[in-house]
Amino acid sequence: MATRVRTLNDAKAAASNNFELYWWVFMRVSGLLLVFLVLGHIYMQNIAINSAEIDYDYVVSRFSNPTWKIYDIFLLGLTMLHGANGLRYVLDDYIKNLSTRFWVKTILFTLIAAIFVVGSITLWSFSFQEMGDVVRSVQSH
Amino acid sequence: MYRGREGQWAFIFHRVSGLAILFYLLIHVAELAAAMWGPQYSNAILGFFHTPLFRFGLLGVIAAVLYHALNGLRIIFMDFTGWGVKHQAKIWYGVFGVFLVIYIPVLIKIVPEIFRGH
Repeated sequence: MATRVRTLNDAKAAASNNFELYWWVFMRVSGLLLVFLVLGHIYMQNIAINSAEIDYDYVVSRFSNPTWKIYDIFLLGLTMLHGANGLRYVLDDYIKNLSTRFWVKTILFTLIAAIFVVGSITLWSFSFQEMGDVVRSVQSH
Repeated sequence: MYRGREGQWAFIFHRVSGLAILFYLLIHVAELAAAMWGPQYSNAILGFFHTPLFRFGLLGVIAAVLYHALNGLRIIFMDFTGWGVKHQAKIWYGVFGVFLVIYIPVLIKIVPEIFRGH
């Protein structure tokens, strides 16, 4: 259904309510942002370095850096929303039984939401580098 | 209906690559969350993902992301320009052209790293 809509006016006409229209717009806006965010992420972790060198120290140094914290939280939020809504289109198209569709959606969206929460906690778990340096210098005195 | 022409294959590839990326995303976030429990758990799990099998799998994920990104741009062209609709099939071949131009150097960089084992 979503893929046969070709223009913003088509989307307005086809959308049963504004909720669907907002998702249609969101998929395009988030998709455009994710082209840069995700390909940038892949470049930094796979091309600029050898990805097999990624260890705990590397992960913590990234998560402690304010720039990558902000980058990663947008990456996490946009990919999860874009992916969850894409999954919703697929489930709506292929699962015709409404009861089955409801339960499959409930389980999968709960899983996605749970992993999003875990990912968010991970991003906030590591103190900023400067903050960590201060804590360590206080502890060493 | 598309009757099995380029547009339909573009659509199917977009769905399959999207689902594959979502599946990987969930594993990827969980994998990195292990860092909260400290280096011994984190390094064990990261080491598991650095085995050759997973590194070849990651090349598949990179291919899926690259196709999904380029074809997503094609969809945006189709949605907002008449030119994009008229030439959608040609643009799809363009997507594959750009895909190869980017992906072949990626393979040249990463495949030897996997065979060297580090």
